[in-house]
Amino acid sequence: MPLVVANDVEHHVQVLGQGPPVVMAHGLITGSLATWFYTTAPALAETHQVMLYDLRGHGRSGRTSTGYDTATLVNDLAALTQSIAEPMTLVGHSYGALIALKYALQYPAKVARLVLVETPLPPSQMNEFTQFLQQTPETMIDALPAGMQSLFRSQQGSRRTRRLLESLQFLITESSLVSDLMAETDLTNEELASIQCDVLAIHGTKSTLRSVGTRLANHIDHCSAVELPGGHYLPMEATQDLTDAIVGYCCG
Amino acid sequence: MNDQNEILSRVADAIRRVIGEEWIHDETIDMGTSFANDLELESIEFVALAEELQNVFGEKVDFVSWLSTMELDAIIGLSVGDVVEFITSCHS
Repeated sequence: MPLVVANDVEHHVQVLGQGPPVVMAHGLITGSLATWFYTTAPALAETHQVMLYDLRGHGRSGRTSTGYDTATLVNDLAALTQSIAEPMTLVGHSYGALIALKYALQYPAKVARLVLVETPLPPSQMNEFTQFLQQTPETMIDALPAGMQSLFRSQQGSRRTRRLLESLQFLITESSLVSDLMAETDLTNEELASIQCDVLAIHGTKSTLRSVGTRLANHIDHCSAVELPGGHYLPMEATQDLTDAIVGYCCG
Repeated sequence: MNDQNEILSRVADAIRRVIGEEWIHDETIDMGTSFANDLELESIEFVALAEELQNVFGEKVDFVSWLSTMELDAIIGLSVGDVVEFITSCHS
């Protein structure tokens, strides 16, 4: 397993394909690099070098009790992408989209384009997610969209469910993730207007974040907003549509 | 030992390394073993398994491209036999 140390934390990294660089970031809690590995990454890797990584505390990366604020996660991303010389395409889902957007604000010269899937703005008002967090770890799986539940659940007390609960338990009750998320401030419209690269903003027609697409398109100069049928978890809910949209945008 | 049995035994070893828990060493892994129901593999562990198998069987076995032709449900529903047959087909 390729582990790369960034900011003293071991990060699980996978690189697929060859070509112009793309880096893909996943969302919090139930996300891992598997979010992209099984969906959009293989198709994109036919024409690009695609780097996937597990955020700290997620997947096979090191579990840390702190550092789930976007400032730290942007630093992690910066350390992991240090060796990428040419401007890259950053793709993010959910909190991963927020990390990508904040990275582009901090390192504009490093980013060729952004693909933002379901960006949670303002971060602390991400309704589906905050409702999800109000569940106990045991009832959280029930709160996921039906299509995703099967990925985590089988029989009660099974290994996969046990491991998911362990991870939820750690992130929610033993790490600063929830308080970091709640303390995250909204981006200003001036900050959005300072983004100069091309941006594709994708939202689900059934998502509570749907209106964020309009906001991004209104304030970012070169931003197109697209809606796909589904809710917040588009990589799982609208896999093919999302892949077509991202590959089309990156190859266009 | 025929080719398929040898491939099965190398796949089973890779699975044991990825799961890395004690019980798996005594677990029978055969062609009918299901990744989801019997082994309870997490999706992120399947990534690690794909990588492990790539290392064991070499470039000729392109798991990522193979997996990319399947929906996530289908990947999760794979049996050990499906993977062994895929590897066999790459070597024939």
